[in-house]
Amino acid sequence: MTQRFDAVVVGAGVMGATTALHLARGGMRVALVDRGAICREASGVNAGTLTLHMTRAALIPYAMRGRELWLDAPRWLGMDAGARAAPGLSVAFTPAERDMLEHRAAARRQAGAPIELVTPARARQVEPGLNGDIIAAAFCALDGHITAYLTGLAYRRALVAAGVALFENAPVEGVDSGDGGFAIRAAGATLLRARRLVLAGGVWLERMLGWLGLRVPVKCLINQLVVTERLRPVMRSVLGIANGLLSLKQFGNGTVLIGGGWQGIGDPDRGGVEAIPDNLIGNVRLARHAIPGLAEARVARIWLDLESETADALPMIGPLPGIEGAHVIGCAHSGFTSGPYMGQLLADFILGREPERPLFDPARLIPPQPAASLESIP
Amino acid sequence: MSSSRALLVSFSFDDEPYEGSAGDSLAVALMLAGRRHLRDSSRQGAPRGAFCLMGSCQECVVWVDGERRPACQVPLRQGMVVRSGTIGTDTP
Amino acid sequence: MTDLIVIGAGPAGIAAALRASALGLRVVLLDDQPQAGGQVHRAPAGTRPVPPSPEARTGTVLRDGLAGSAVEARPGHQVWSVSADFRVDALGPEGPCHWQAPALIVATGAQERVMPFPGWTLPGVVGLAAATLLLKAHGIAPGARTLVAGCGPLLGAVAAGILKAGGQVAAVADLAAPADWARRLPAMAARPDLLARGAGWAARLRRAGVPLLFRTTVAEVEATATGLRARLCPVDADGRPRPGGTVVEADAVAVGHGLLPSTEITRLLRVEHAFDAVAGNWAARLDGDGRSSRRGLYVAGDGGGIQGAAAAPLRGELAALAAARDLGRLDAGAQDRLAAPLRRRLARAARFGRAMAGLMAPRPGQVEAITPGAVVCRCEDVTRAEIEAAAAEGAREVNQLKAWTRCGMGPCQGRVCGDTAAALLARHHGIAREEAGLFTGRTPLRPLPLAQLTGEFGYADIVLPPPAPL
Repeated sequence: MTQRFDAVVVGAGVMGATTALHLARGGMRVALVDRGAICREASGVNAGTLTLHMTRAALIPYAMRGRELWLDAPRWLGMDAGARAAPGLSVAFTPAERDMLEHRAAARRQAGAPIELVTPARARQVEPGLNGDIIAAAFCALDGHITAYLTGLAYRRALVAAGVALFENAPVEGVDSGDGGFAIRAAGATLLRARRLVLAGGVWLERMLGWLGLRVPVKCLINQLVVTERLRPVMRSVLGIANGLLSLKQFGNGTVLIGGGWQGIGDPDRGGVEAIPDNLIGNVRLARHAIPGLAEARVARIWLDLESETADALPMIGPLPGIEGAHVIGCAHSGFTSGPYMGQLLADFILGREPERPLFDPARLIPPQPAASLESIP
Repeated sequence: MSSSRALLVSFSFDDEPYEGSAGDSLAVALMLAGRRHLRDSSRQGAPRGAFCLMGSCQECVVWVDGERRPACQVPLRQGMVVRSGTIGTDTP
Repeated sequence: MTDLIVIGAGPAGIAAALRASALGLRVVLLDDQPQAGGQVHRAPAGTRPVPPSPEARTGTVLRDGLAGSAVEARPGHQVWSVSADFRVDALGPEGPCHWQAPALIVATGAQERVMPFPGWTLPGVVGLAAATLLLKAHGIAPGARTLVAGCGPLLGAVAAGILKAGGQVAAVADLAAPADWARRLPAMAARPDLLARGAGWAARLRRAGVPLLFRTTVAEVEATATGLRARLCPVDADGRPRPGGTVVEADAVAVGHGLLPSTEITRLLRVEHAFDAVAGNWAARLDGDGRSSRRGLYVAGDGGGIQGAAAAPLRGELAALAAARDLGRLDAGAQDRLAAPLRRRLARAARFGRAMAGLMAPRPGQVEAITPGAVVCRCEDVTRAEIEAAAAEGAREVNQLKAWTRCGMGPCQGRVCGDTAAALLARHHGIAREEAGLFTGRTPLRPLPLAQLTGEFGYADIVLPPPAPL
């Protein structure tokens, strides 16, 4: 007998797992399905940067709330996932970067981020490890960082406690809609049925939406990440550069994580394939230039994180047009920061509560579809 | 037997003077000098020393003239300034 | 232009490079040690006398052969990255450098497996392979009085070597019983020379009055005011501890439980791997000539499955012939003709190597016997109890375990703990090793000094991509 649920969430990253968690806490019988384990893709391998300096202006209120939720994880998630508050700095080494810094800080401030321009001297007080060559800096008190690799454990505990039925290592092959609900197909059979569907597949959302006959292009970014082995304390801030091409932080265990969205090779089919050595060198040079103390570090590991982006670079969160009971969540820049909040907003919507903030209607990205029978889609 | 042609050089470990044979690796020189405890581990703070001697396990990592290197992969040189590879223990 | 890159200058890599070069290929041979030879034929450091041995003599021959060849040998180069199109990045004495070629032979050999026990992390406890290296490159024993423990042919070699170097052997503790050795005699008869050496080691140890303890394991080592104290424990045929035991005082312990193929590069390039349940290890899936599932990528020597040092050069030559053929530099008929005698000799040599590997295969009781407090991941001090706790919470696969516990996340990059961690997960859930998985291969292949990666540079030298969106 196929199991039936009130809702099924496909994709167990932070977006999907948070939605599933709140739906279950809201009284629904919920299934969470993933082709792998919980938070083992972008949600478990991203840089863990909680910063408003790199958040898209339109998402700042969401990121601010998301950051609070991460810091408060022991209370609502049941486990400390390693989120720590830290002062955030964005710096400029050239006049062009200074102009960019001032422009961007103003735009983000207008969107509600408490970002202020500070003198280089003040920036060096905040971050004594900083290169003295900076010519301008912006400061944000509401930043921080988190060890992304712990999110899988934290969410798994919470989901199990909330009674969510977990279907891990279950690659979904398609979704049949009709009969007042959805049938999830995996391994050549119907895995389960549910009245409501949430697609939360990050860079795989384009394919997932295709299951429902919807064509929405989703761009896949292949971000390179670098972590050093443990090191004496060389920095205490979350540090970036005006152009957004660097993110740096040192965790409590002494390792320093270098990110900034420098691109490697990969795609949604193959995942992250490999780093591009020249991009690696560029990224690490920026890091060493910003924090000269990094010169004594050794690089321990390099990996890739797949990030999704829509045509207008804003998320899709909300009901899918024309398909009763189907929803989507994902493609948020800085989505890891905002994820715990965005998942809660979508869960509130599905539970019939008024979300605290507006969702991001996916209909804007979906051209009118030819009338097709969903059952006929392979 | 091949002939012995060791040239004695001096070096320091955590400011203590030692002598060893140029041509040996730093790890071997330290072992022969009776210095086997090269660092403390980061989580338990437990003593560690050379283990695989092939550059794989990273247990013998020390600071050599300011650079972090596995002692088993570093040829001993005159005047080398070596420090324990201990980083300090993790903070939450 | 390079036709072929060979990584690893042990017996397999040198043979591959020499054969490919003799066929007219332009070959680059890379190795991290200052001199070619690998661990088996490691060049003496020259600091004190080392005893003559067939391995040492062969090493000299191999290095002379390389010197007289057209192979571009680059010892002292630590390879840190290999890309899908076979760009190989290395750090050499002059800094970062790279090569690229249409074919790549990985000949990175094996690493030692050591089953964790309390105290295996203490200074003075070293691998059996490490002890071998001390003896043959430096002419020294690991300590004044060494306990030699574990399994496989290195036990006798190390113990006899220590005596020869003037050291004392506190005892030899062998997991196997004499009967386990005897069972392999027919396969070992393929190498009467090695059999005779083994008999010689045993005689030497007996003459010196060294206690030879069979079906015995090191249960624990602790530090004392003057050295180390080891508790030895009898085991059954499956390696399970039995009642009783004895205590041995020493100042060094040399311990090893067999060899694991080095799979960092093949994992990085995501070729197919297979778990060999008999040998108890993973290796890239290869055809008889060393071709992997990725076109242009070959594996030679123990890195492609443990068959021993005698098989290694044959596997190297076979891989070189296959590469030459696949590059269109040797026709199929010639390859077959040249490969046929090598394949025959390999079958014989591999039989011996596999018999030894079987002797060193992990026994189920060894994994069971790891105590809760024993550190499994040395870099991150992750204990068996922590791994079991993660498994109980649902971790079934090693990369998930790594995320939850940091097991394998340290500077050794999981080389030391990966196999044990996977065995523990498989045991906890009653699942196959295939399901427990393998650590994903990552660059850098060894920790990479950041300053060497960046070089000296100015801000203007950094080529910036377009800025991130606002």
